Amino acid sequence: MSTAVPRRAAAPSRRNWRFRLRRDRSLLLMTLPAVVLLIVFNYVPLSGLVTAFQEYDPLVGVRYSEWVGLDQFSRLFTDPLFWGSLKNTLYLSFVQLILFFPIPIALALLLNTVLSERLRNFIQSVVYLPHFFSWVLAVTIFQQMLGGAGALNQFLRGHDLGTWDVMTDPGTFALLVTSQAIWKEAGWGIIVFLAALAAINTEQYEAAAVDGAGRFRRMWHITLPGLRGVIMLMLVLRLGNALTVGFEQFLIQRDAVGHDAADVLDTFSFYYGIATGNYSYGAAAGLFKSVISLLLIWGANRLAHAFGEDGLYRK
Amino acid sequence: MAIEWNRRRFISAAATVVGAAAMAPALSACSGSPAPQTGANTEPGLRAALPAYLPNTAIRPEIPSVAGGPDVLTDAGFLTYPANPVATVAGVPGRGGSYTAVTPLWGTVPSAGNSFYQAMNKALGVDLAMKPADGNNYNTIIPTMTAAKRLPDWIQLPAWWNPNFNLGGLAGTQLADLTPYLAGDKIKKYPNLAAIPTAAWRTGIWGDKLYGIPGFATGLPLAGIVYYRRDILDAKGITADQVRSADDYLNLGKELTDAKRGVWAFDDVWTYLSPAWGVPFRWKVDNGKLVHKYEMPEFLEALDWHYRLATAGYVHPDALAGDNANASPRFYAGKTLIQGGGAGNGAWNVADHESGTAATPGYRRGAFNIIAADGKSNPQLFLTNSTSELSYLNSNLKPEQIEELLAVANYLAAPYGSAEYTMVNFGVEGVHHTRVNGVPTPTDDGKKNVQAQTYPFLASPPQVISNPGADVVTKDNAAWQAANAKAVYKPVFWNMNVALSQALATAEAAQAVEDTIKDCYHGKKKVSDVQAAIAGWKSGGGDRLKQWMTDNVLQKYGTGQ
Repeated sequence: MSTAVPRRAAAPSRRNWRFRLRRDRSLLLMTLPAVVLLIVFNYVPLSGLVTAFQEYDPLVGVRYSEWVGLDQFSRLFTDPLFWGSLKNTLYLSFVQLILFFPIPIALALLLNTVLSERLRNFIQSVVYLPHFFSWVLAVTIFQQMLGGAGALNQFLRGHDLGTWDVMTDPGTFALLVTSQAIWKEAGWGIIVFLAALAAINTEQYEAAAVDGAGRFRRMWHITLPGLRGVIMLMLVLRLGNALTVGFEQFLIQRDAVGHDAADVLDTFSFYYGIATGNYSYGAAAGLFKSVISLLLIWGANRLAHAFGEDGLYRK
Repeated sequence: MAIEWNRRRFISAAATVVGAAAMAPALSACSGSPAPQTGANTEPGLRAALPAYLPNTAIRPEIPSVAGGPDVLTDAGFLTYPANPVATVAGVPGRGGSYTAVTPLWGTVPSAGNSFYQAMNKALGVDLAMKPADGNNYNTIIPTMTAAKRLPDWIQLPAWWNPNFNLGGLAGTQLADLTPYLAGDKIKKYPNLAAIPTAAWRTGIWGDKLYGIPGFATGLPLAGIVYYRRDILDAKGITADQVRSADDYLNLGKELTDAKRGVWAFDDVWTYLSPAWGVPFRWKVDNGKLVHKYEMPEFLEALDWHYRLATAGYVHPDALAGDNANASPRFYAGKTLIQGGGAGNGAWNVADHESGTAATPGYRRGAFNIIAADGKSNPQLFLTNSTSELSYLNSNLKPEQIEELLAVANYLAAPYGSAEYTMVNFGVEGVHHTRVNGVPTPTDDGKKNVQAQTYPFLASPPQVISNPGADVVTKDNAAWQAANAKAVYKPVFWNMNVALSQALATAEAAQAVEDTIKDCYHGKKKVSDVQAAIAGWKSGGGDRLKQWMTDNVLQKYGTGQ
């Protein structure tokens, strides 16, 4: 971001380009390691996508594997399990967007109203903490608390109150995983909003207070407009990642609720591709996901621009 | 423990038939191209390639092996370790060659050039650089080597990962043909290798040629058996002999489950108990026709019974939630009383005994006998492959190098209790182990460098039952094997290697059906859902797989029984 050139730069000419290169060379040098990393680990492996059009055999390698064109895709598009996992992915994404997305914003606003710095730091640490747990641990904690033999159900059983099968019920799985995600990630998600809040000029609040604006009006007319750019950016990113709802979380709980409810595109690629040595099929599913994601992020970005926001970059 | 658990646990998953296309341009099954090589063996070809079998009688076990039928033999039991181990190899096997070897290791990798490796090199007379690789990622590490055609001189390729390794393709291209060195009486040059049972050598033969050296071979390979908490059931007056049918199991479920106290009778048992309905590992031949287990009514009956077991509330909720990792702690703590597990030394060993008694003093693992579900037919359980660990030599080696490494393999395969076995498994006395009550006990150095097993994955003697410090385990295990050895049978295509094209291997894995089966025995899907999944599987490749197996394997090579 910081290396972005001023918007109204002069028409690109050779001299100008050289001048800018010389002027920004230390910044460019500093970004070089990251760029190399990106090329080596993100762009070069893209060439592996070619296996989606092959019957890839690790023994003979990419060069000598048989070329099958779009066979993997035609198989994919007639596979009910694939459509099932796509449906699950979109549904979970939708549920998370509605239930999960507003929570870090609300948390950030709430935290912002806490005046005592010590209390605020304490609350912040407590809500951050679960982010550093692995999904294995997070799911284990849920299982120990809410599982069939967990604390809650043993208590209910002990008092003859029946049991509550929340960890293994496919019907409420979307709510379960969303609440797990909120518990684990909402605290971490507030960081970016807190940073945006810190960037709002406090004089605006003072001026508004002098004009007689109450707490709610200040939030509505100053805080939220100040956050709008960041919220939009996060929304664009979220929509672009609509087909990525997590992997470990579903992998771990797949047996608990059954594959029909728990398979998302990523676990589909794993179980029906990699796990059975069917690499090309998994690659085809992955490529499909990437293409759709690219379209989604492009569309969301266009939408942001249409609303006059920056989106991923300034137009 | 970790080693044992991983290695044996996967035996149940080890496929008799192995996957991925044979050799050069992979042929898709429906393209109409010539059929790929099957890798299977002809009867005469197999007979010509198989090494002779000369059992070793140098060391006598306290509990001798019992024969259960042709090719079926219980593991010998040892209650004491020989005080003065005898040497079975004269002199030093090697002639100073330098080699590298890669084996899987579940644990911390010992440092290169440690005192144990040095001592072994001296004893073997070669410079053998051991390069253990992480066992959990082994199936992804090795394909990078095979793709680059950079296999080490000697490598362990577990049979249960065959689909990832494409052994059918590797045999003959990157792996050395050992037939000229070991077939028939030629193996007599290597007496310890000759003491490995013939059935285990069959798993190393591809297309009538011998490639693999079997390790950890057993005469009673089973997918697993049904265990119970003997200390707790004994106290209730329940013995293994009383459980003779599926109904008996259901009654036990009712009697033993006490959910309020957090005790459930069962953990997952599907894999281990379903054979009682006559369900084979994968295939069965009925009136000369090949039948897949999915097509058998017995299979659906077994599934229905397991569905009822789960929905009746006799299975621990965490097991139903798919938490297998904590199955052992549940069993040790008495939260479950019946569980399935690996046979042989897989679950029934001294490490299990120590963990169990640490959780509950008086802990004792017992196993139910093999049963027939109806309680009237003959009890039956299929055998799995006689070994799931095979090592291979690189095809780039010269004949004299192959002979040198086979002599080293002969040293590594020395029988239990011999001087060589002591060296390979416990290291040098006084440095890597000391004798405590006559039992070789690792020192700290030994724990670090010797107990992280590497050499046995290149070659090892047939399995024995030996649990120093826990004689009760050895006696119980040996007694169970002796009582049940007659109830096992050789399944169709036993110990047979078949290379499948990717499309057929996918059909064979039947991931969608297996997923639905799991949901069913966890009580989440009905048997009718599994039937629907099976119908989809049949039209989506299952029928083609059956046809291919019938045409290319059954009709050409027979059942291998």
